[in-house]
Amino acid sequence: MKKLISLLLVTVLLLSAASALAQTKLTVWCWDPAFNIYAMEEAKKVYALINPDVEIEVIETLSADCETKQTAALSSGQTDTLPDIVLMQDNSGRRFLDTFPGAYFAMDGLVDYDNFATYKIDKFTSEGKRYAVPFDNGVAATFVRTDYLEAAGFTLADLTDITWDRFIEIGLKVKEATGQFMLVTQTGYADFVSMITQSADFWFFDEEGRPNINTNPAVRAMVEVIVKLHESGIVKEAVDWSEYIASFNNGSAASTIQGCWIIGSIVLAEDQAGKWGVTNIPRLDIESGTNYSSQGGSSWVVPASSKNAEVAVDFLSKTFGESVEFYQTILQSSGAIATYLPAAEGPAYAEPHPFFNGQKVFEDLMGYSAKVPLVKYGVYNYEARDEIVIAIEAIFNGTSIDDALNSAQSAIEFIME
Amino acid sequence: MTALGAPRPRGGLDKRTARKGWLFILPAVLLILALSFYPMIQAFLLSLQKGSGNNLSYGGLSNYQRLPRDATYVAALGNTFYYLIIQVPIMLLLALILAVMLNDSKLMGRGIYRTLIFLPCATSLVSCSMIFLQLFSNNGLLNNLFMRWGWVSEPIPFLTNAVYARLVIIVTMLWRWTGYNMVFYLAGLQSIDHQIYEAARIDGASVMQQFAKITVPLLRPIILFTTVLSTNGTLQLFDEVRIMTAGGPGVGTATLSWHIYRSTFEQVPRFGYATAMAFTIFVMVAVLAFIQMKVGERT
Amino acid sequence: MRRRLHIRPQRVLKHLFLILVSFLSAFPFYWMLSSATNDTADIILGRVLPGRHLLVNWANLVSAGKIGTAFFNSVRNAVVLTALSLFISSMAGYGFVIFRDKWKNKVMGVLMLSMMIPPAATLIPMFRMFSQLGLINTLAGFMLPSIATVFLIFMFRQATQSFPYEIVQAARIDGLGEFNIFLRMFMPIMRPTYAAAAIVTFMNAWNSYLWPLVILQSPDQLTLPIYAGSFRGGYVLDYGLIMLVVTISTIPMLVIFFALQRSFVVGILGSVK
Repeated sequence: MKKLISLLLVTVLLLSAASALAQTKLTVWCWDPAFNIYAMEEAKKVYALINPDVEIEVIETLSADCETKQTAALSSGQTDTLPDIVLMQDNSGRRFLDTFPGAYFAMDGLVDYDNFATYKIDKFTSEGKRYAVPFDNGVAATFVRTDYLEAAGFTLADLTDITWDRFIEIGLKVKEATGQFMLVTQTGYADFVSMITQSADFWFFDEEGRPNINTNPAVRAMVEVIVKLHESGIVKEAVDWSEYIASFNNGSAASTIQGCWIIGSIVLAEDQAGKWGVTNIPRLDIESGTNYSSQGGSSWVVPASSKNAEVAVDFLSKTFGESVEFYQTILQSSGAIATYLPAAEGPAYAEPHPFFNGQKVFEDLMGYSAKVPLVKYGVYNYEARDEIVIAIEAIFNGTSIDDALNSAQSAIEFIME
Repeated sequence: MTALGAPRPRGGLDKRTARKGWLFILPAVLLILALSFYPMIQAFLLSLQKGSGNNLSYGGLSNYQRLPRDATYVAALGNTFYYLIIQVPIMLLLALILAVMLNDSKLMGRGIYRTLIFLPCATSLVSCSMIFLQLFSNNGLLNNLFMRWGWVSEPIPFLTNAVYARLVIIVTMLWRWTGYNMVFYLAGLQSIDHQIYEAARIDGASVMQQFAKITVPLLRPIILFTTVLSTNGTLQLFDEVRIMTAGGPGVGTATLSWHIYRSTFEQVPRFGYATAMAFTIFVMVAVLAFIQMKVGERT
Repeated sequence: MRRRLHIRPQRVLKHLFLILVSFLSAFPFYWMLSSATNDTADIILGRVLPGRHLLVNWANLVSAGKIGTAFFNSVRNAVVLTALSLFISSMAGYGFVIFRDKWKNKVMGVLMLSMMIPPAATLIPMFRMFSQLGLINTLAGFMLPSIATVFLIFMFRQATQSFPYEIVQAARIDGLGEFNIFLRMFMPIMRPTYAAAAIVTFMNAWNSYLWPLVILQSPDQLTLPIYAGSFRGGYVLDYGLIMLVVTISTIPMLVIFFALQRSFVVGILGSVK
């Protein structure tokens, strides 16, 4: 009898445990149906085989809106509205982790971080703990019209492993030969400010997190490069995103230097198939200069308020954190390039890309990805970048580099005080 | 007729009627007290907190003392007043002229004109910004035309030079809000008896005289309304700047509301400092509105 | 009749001016319509003429889903809010003038202060309050802050100042109650003001972004501006689709405006007297 009762009890317990599991529902906030949401939907399929009792609901939310909602919820202490998983821009990582201590769930020990590009992990590391599963790759590259290069007598190899000065030289010749701009970027050069600084293994802050702008050799060299680019006349400065995209889609710019996710917009111009190539970015002519950097990209975080935080992390870790096959699928359908390094071994990454004249673009990008300098990101990344953009604007208008960078330094110190 | 703006017959309102009047006002007053003033008081208390995110501590007036040292705040303050002084008078005058023109019952197609002039309010800011930015870009339509006609030899840096960029913002605001204000004037004009105009015409008053001597005085309550509203709206200007220039070049077109929004939601959140900035707008609007009401309601 | 057909130079100038202003006002709108029929490549390359991509954009929009929900929610929110706030706020505006005394003027002055603070500054306290009251994801939560707005109260207060007081006095003598005077005399006579108020209130409710974003978080409460915004967040943007969504979201506003502007007819007030 006793046995029977205990058996019954165990069964009841097991059943209730199972039904509790069956009720587990994860909500996810992320944006971009063609990219992040698609990847999430695929991850759902993968996880359904591992743990069929978990239901996952994706709620499409713009990146800026994700941040506004998290700010509102976390600062008012009303965290019920937060989901179980949120996608977050890499540059926002430290800002949310540090200004809302305890608001996110640390994943050390639950996710195998050894397989991710290190530069990604650091963007979500605070006080030695890691808080995110890295997702898409923001590794920077030069995307260039090889037909324009040839018209000026250059090849893709001539644009590989070069300095910015050499890039400008080539650019002037390309402009002369084709009548088109060598490069397009958005006015203000904001993307370049962080991308170029990071490429030389520096950031806007020192090891202790203090602003490091006016005495930072990489920042100074970066500003000099941007001023040269601006004055050379080889850069088309687009006023908004649509003009930026239009500039390479309509052939009025020969190249763009950007995070690798820009591929999706480049291949829109179907008539340009076969005319594009990819190579690493120009480097700063200082000792620590490299030809690798990153721009953009995002990662998955789990708010600590989630009642199913462990399930959420398990889901992320078993899909985004360890499935080579999963990354094959999303690369083929959406062009989402992984930061999960073993993904590069999958056959899809070795496929020649017809739009890029048969170049094995994804393999190359994964190669760059492993070489991106690991810099110490701060909490005030956007603020520092914006102050440098203001300084550059002042330099364009005649202020000396010294004065402008000193102002930027004191401005960022003022913000941080 | 006795318009209520004019002096009222004395002793017309006994105490019982006056008390009934409160019932008309009460629902609105209670709602505003609970839903606007309560959060405002909390925001004010927040403005006495220093720090970022949830790492806040009492700082007294330190956020307010910080303002004059904040170069972005000072620049934004200057820009905001620049917009206010240039844009509001032009817009209101233009709106009033359009409303008077479109109030003419003999005018053919006035329904169509009204709707077309109202369209900017209905047009999404996205398409408006795409059009305007393309129009004013270095390789944009305006520069192309100017260069073809030989007016300029170099493209005019409409968006990359702060002086021009501020003008672009003003043009955008004029474009977007003139039709909106016209709506209030059109509604207000309905209460002016057209016999007054006929009498004036018989007396030989010109169109300008009718405008200045009849329309403007009789519309005074509505003109005051639009003036206070536009002052308030311009001091809180945000959308146009965010969508068109993101405050740039540098902080050349930045406004106070843009700075507040950025400090709350886009940068490391400094709620205390952001609300302190917001209360400086509050004081400025309150002072300006007080002056405008005093001047506008004097009879 | 004949005399009106005489071409007077003043009339011609007036029409020329209005045509110019109308053109400048309407061009971006036209471009938006036309872009909804083009594909992304044509739009970013600056095509102005209508294209043949409308059906493709439409199919993309339908396959993205949720447009029906978003449209329905936006219409519901804006209609209910406009009706409620016009009633409550116009009543207050009327009360402030018809029953004017020193204290009511003071109260009005204090109320005015509530519109002078940028919404970004009170968003967080408001969110805290509404979520403590359990109003997240409710229509009430969306509407409550805008039912009584100083903007409308002020507008009606100003408009009521041109309302002939004799009408109120005559109605009182006829034995009409105060509320009935408001309902049966004031509201019909002030139709143009109500029309203008309805237009701008509907527009504000229709376009509001920040408050619905934080207060209406559940997907079944999605509104159009947030839905339309979601298409602008990708690495690759489909401008044809974006333009179709923003076009669709402006149609109700235009219908409302065109219908209501007809009540801007000179002499409504005169005809009553």
